Amino acid sequence: MTASRRLAHARQLGTVLGLVVLSGVLWAMTPHFLTVPNLLNVAQQTSINAIVAIGMTFVIISGGIDLSVGSIVALSGVVLGLALQNRVLLPFALALGLGTGLACGLANGALVSWGRLPPFIVTLGTMSIARGAALVATEGRPISGFDPAFRSFATGHVAGIPSPIVATIVMYAIAHIVLTRTTFGRYVYAIGGNEEATRLSGVSVRLHKTMIYAVSGLVSAVAAVILTARLNSAQPIAGMMYELDAIAATVIGGTSLMGGEGTLAGTLVGALIMGVLRNGLNLLGVSSFLQQIVIGAVIIFAVLVDTVLKRHRT
Amino acid sequence: MRKISVSLVVLFVVLLAVSFPACNRAAPGTNKPKVALVLKTLNHPFFVDMRRGAQEAADRLGVQLDVQAAEREIDVEKQMQIVENMIQTGIGALAITPSGSREIISALVKARDAKVPIIVVDTRLDPKAAADAGVHAETFVGSDNYEGGKLAGGYLVKATNGKARVAILEGIPGHETGDSRLRGFREAVSSAPAITIVASQPANWERDQGFNVFQNMLQAHPDIDAVFAASDLMALGAIEAIAAAGKTGKIRVVGFDALDDAKKAIAAGTMEASVAQFPSEMGKIAVESAVKAMHGEKLPPDIVVNLAMVTKDSLSRP
Repeated sequence: MTASRRLAHARQLGTVLGLVVLSGVLWAMTPHFLTVPNLLNVAQQTSINAIVAIGMTFVIISGGIDLSVGSIVALSGVVLGLALQNRVLLPFALALGLGTGLACGLANGALVSWGRLPPFIVTLGTMSIARGAALVATEGRPISGFDPAFRSFATGHVAGIPSPIVATIVMYAIAHIVLTRTTFGRYVYAIGGNEEATRLSGVSVRLHKTMIYAVSGLVSAVAAVILTARLNSAQPIAGMMYELDAIAATVIGGTSLMGGEGTLAGTLVGALIMGVLRNGLNLLGVSSFLQQIVIGAVIIFAVLVDTVLKRHRT
Repeated sequence: MRKISVSLVVLFVVLLAVSFPACNRAAPGTNKPKVALVLKTLNHPFFVDMRRGAQEAADRLGVQLDVQAAEREIDVEKQMQIVENMIQTGIGALAITPSGSREIISALVKARDAKVPIIVVDTRLDPKAAADAGVHAETFVGSDNYEGGKLAGGYLVKATNGKARVAILEGIPGHETGDSRLRGFREAVSSAPAITIVASQPANWERDQGFNVFQNMLQAHPDIDAVFAASDLMALGAIEAIAAAGKTGKIRVVGFDALDDAKKAIAAGTMEASVAQFPSEMGKIAVESAVKAMHGEKLPPDIVVNLAMVTKDSLSRP
C-alpha cells in the first residue's frame, strides 16, 4: 500500500513538474504567456474540460469508460436553453438541465451494472442517443440569447475571480472529499481494483457503479451550464470530442485505464497541461494542424511515463 | 523511481525545446504590426484559399499575419478561445470568419475592450446580438450568399426551362451562410411553378454526408432531375452517389464555391454549374481593411466580393 502510494506521489510530482516545465518553456518563448489576463483566460478555457474530467476520473478509476459525456453536455445544455427560452424560472431551468445530465448518467450506470453490458458499448450508444435527442429537440438549430442573470455563470466574478474558475475549484474540492473521505469513494477504487472481491465482501457493486456514472452525467451537466452561458447559446452540436479531451486530461493526470488508481488532483493538472498547451500554441501562432500533433504526443508521453514507472515498481 | 521521472521530464523538456522553435513562425525581433486572421477551419479549400490571399496582401503591405483556426468548422468554443488568446499577443486588428453568428460575440466583446478593430469576413454577425453586446465591426467583407443562391436558382430555372423535380442538400442548420443561400435559391425557383422541391435535407457541409444523404434521396425519389447543394463538397458527394446509381449525366448538379474539384467535375460534365466565390479576394480585402482600420481609416459597412456562375461554357472561355 505504501509503495503504491509513494508511486502515486512520484507520478503526480511528475505531472506537476511537466506543467511547471511547460509553463517555463512558454514563459521563455513568449512574453504574452505569463500575464494575469492570459492566465485567467487559460483557467477559464480549461474549466469546462476540467469539470467533465471529474466524472471521467470517477468512471475510469472504477475500471469503466464514459464516451457519452460530450453528448450529455449538449443535451443538458439544450434542455436548459429550451427551459430558459420558455421563461422557466432560473432555478427550475437549472434543475431541469442538471436533472437531464443526472438521468443520462443513471441510464448509463443502470445499463452497465444491471444490463451487464460493457461500458464502452453502453456509452457509445448513449453518446449517439443523447446527441440525436439534442438535435431533435432543437431541430438542429442553436438556442441563443439569454438574460444577464444566467450569463453570469460564465461572465460573472466571485471575489474578483471569474465564476467558471470558482465553479471548477468548488467542484474539485467537493469531488476530492467524496473520492477520498467517503465510503462511496473507497468503493470507487475497490471496484476498479477488483470488482469480484468487492462484490464478495458484501458491497452492492451494481448500486455504486450506477452512482459513479450518475456522477459523470451530473458533472457533465454542470459543464453544460457554464458552456451555455459562455456561448450565450445552447448548441445541439456542442461538446463534440469532449469525451476524448476528458479522457486525455484524466490519463495525463496519472489515472490508470486499468482502474483502481488515480487522483482528482492529477486530473486537474492534466486538464491544465492541455489548456496551457493549447493556449501557448495559439500565442506562438502554431497552426492548428501542428497543435494536434503536439497534443497527441503529450498524451502518449504521459502514459509512457506511467508505464515505465509501473514496470520499475515490480 | 524519482530518477526515472526526472529523466523523463528532462526528455520532455528536450522534446519541447526541439519542437517549439520549429513551429514558431513568428520571427522574434520584428516590430511589424500584427493582424490576426481567425478562420472557421483550415481543412476546407475555401479557407485555405482565403489564407493565401490574406498572406499575399500581408506580405505586400509589410504586416505580420497570424492565421489560426479551430480543428472543426463547427467548434465555436475553440474559436472563442483562439480569439481570447490572440488578443493577449497584442494584435493590431482582428479579421474573423465567425463559426457562430451569435456565439462568437462574447469573444468579440473582449476584442472591443482591448480596442482591437474587428473585420468580419464571409459570415455576418447576428445584427441584433452584436448591437445588444455593443460590438461594432469596422466592415463586413464577403459575398452576398442570398444573391448567390438566387443566381443558382435562376440558372436552374433557365437550364430546365422551368420544369424540374429538384432536391436540395443543406449545410448545417442554423448557419447564416447556408440559410441565406437556401432562401435565395428558393426565392428564385418559386418564380417557376413547374419546379417542385421534392426533398431538402442537411448534409452538414460534408462530402461523405452529401453522398449518403443524396443516395437516400434517390431511393425515395428516383425521378429527381436536379440537385442544388449549398456547397461544392456536398455536391461532389452527390455526384458520386449519382455515379453509383448509374445516373451520371441524367441529373443536373449545381453547387456553390467553385472549388477546384468542382471545376474539374464541370469540365468533365459530371457537374453542371457552381456559384463561384472568390475567397482569396476576401482574404486579401480583409487584410487590406484590417491595415486601414489600424490606421484609423473609416471603412464602408459592407465590402461586397462579387459572385459568378461557373459552367462548362465559362470554363472554356479564356
